[in-house]
Amino acid sequence: MAKIIVVTSGKGGVGKTTSSAAIATGLALQGHKTVVVDFDVGLRNLDLIMGCERRVVYDFVNVINKEATLNQALIKDKRTDGLFILPASQTRDKDALTMEGVQTVLDDLSKDFEFIICDSPAGIEQGAQMALYFADEAIVVTNPEVSSVRDSDRILGILQSKSMRAEQGKNVKEHLLLTRYNPDRVATAEMLSVADVEEILAVPLVGVIPESEAVLKASNQGAPVILDQESNAGQAYTDAVRRLLGETVEYRFIEAQKKGFFKRLLGGK
Amino acid sequence: MSQQCFRMKGTTLTSIVLDVLKFEPDEFEQQLATKIASAPQFFTRSSLILQINAAMSATEFELLVALCKKHQLQPMAVKGKVGALKATINDLGLSDISQSKSTDSQISPSEEGSTVTSTKESSESAEASGKPKIIDRPVRSGQQVYAQGGDLIIVAPVSEGAEILADGNIHVYGTMRGRALAGVKGDTQARIFCQQVEAELLSIAGRFVMQDTIQSQCWKQPAQAYLEDDTLVVSALV
Repeated sequence: MAKIIVVTSGKGGVGKTTSSAAIATGLALQGHKTVVVDFDVGLRNLDLIMGCERRVVYDFVNVINKEATLNQALIKDKRTDGLFILPASQTRDKDALTMEGVQTVLDDLSKDFEFIICDSPAGIEQGAQMALYFADEAIVVTNPEVSSVRDSDRILGILQSKSMRAEQGKNVKEHLLLTRYNPDRVATAEMLSVADVEEILAVPLVGVIPESEAVLKASNQGAPVILDQESNAGQAYTDAVRRLLGETVEYRFIEAQKKGFFKRLLGGK
Repeated sequence: MSQQCFRMKGTTLTSIVLDVLKFEPDEFEQQLATKIASAPQFFTRSSLILQINAAMSATEFELLVALCKKHQLQPMAVKGKVGALKATINDLGLSDISQSKSTDSQISPSEEGSTVTSTKESSESAEASGKPKIIDRPVRSGQQVYAQGGDLIIVAPVSEGAEILADGNIHVYGTMRGRALAGVKGDTQARIFCQQVEAELLSIAGRFVMQDTIQSQCWKQPAQAYLEDDTLVVSALV
């Protein structure tokens, strides 16, 4: 039986798809057979970040409508063994997803995979609720700023009231993933600190991803940033995946680095 | 149309019950005198209900009433094992209330079982409406929690944009950042207790204060809110 993990946030542009791609890849790299499902019907992005946009023939909606089989729609990742992508439809909208259809697809995926990562669309409407409804666990992606924190709080409320587990009186295990974290700006009080966000949301932390140029570069190249182990962001995602699997990993990249004399002189970053 | 001469109304009054455990005229009178001497102001001319626990003859009963009157007590009704005394009670102008429901706490062993059950039932029905609601998960933005008919106890933080309501008091053991409304059905005695107050709004029975006011008082401190002369006061808990 697979573990279904939704990557959600409420707010848009905080890094849900980047995180979904990185975490799914990280889980596969650790030897767990993983599928990442794009729930953002109509605004398909995951395939771009995973670098498989040219290989999309059938999508999630086709499978739900029984126009294609699951195996026809699943795309096997070329870089990482044991990683598959189920892309969203670009020509439809979120009403194309039905509760029964989604459940059937997730049930089928559960037979073959250890982890199902659901990349949720932004917002709190039907599309986002559909993505989180069947989740066993949730990774709430939050930026260290007040509006993102409030939206995360809202989606956490929905998780604990409108998910299937909530309806059964069970809990959805919550994880906080802080992205685009800039310790220098935290030091100058321009940004909320890890402790601030943790205190407001009262959710256990699973990772802190530093703001990094490597993320944008990786997105444009269509390779999940976790594959770039030279970058801070890539290493931070690896740490987050290990924590998700139950390991205790020390936090990196959350303290401001003191710049050396030459670095300052040369304006290095 | 002539004016109404009277109105019939119901009332309840507290009265003394003289629980007659044993009737030996001399002994009884002596003990009665001692009892009355202990608080003469209280007992003089107080109306009295006689509780008869052991069968007694009409003569004995008349003597009992006479003794009470002698000591300035005013028997008005009789209950308990009235049995054969009914005629005498009538003759003496007293009421027989042996059939009416007993509400006093002194009960004979045979009645104990049934009384205990009824007490239990009443406390259960009180619980159904007045039982406090306990929440041990964070109350998130956009969520609303209402404790109908009782207190609301939250053992977790309450986020900004969340709303918690109770007919009774509200307790928040965690940071209180949302809106709290106690006594929503008009209970002006209701209070709000917070371990750390950072609330957007606190309200009791319709009166409220906003964040700006709270900020100037006991922001981020343990605090309580209550009504004093129709004004909502927020004060730090020591």
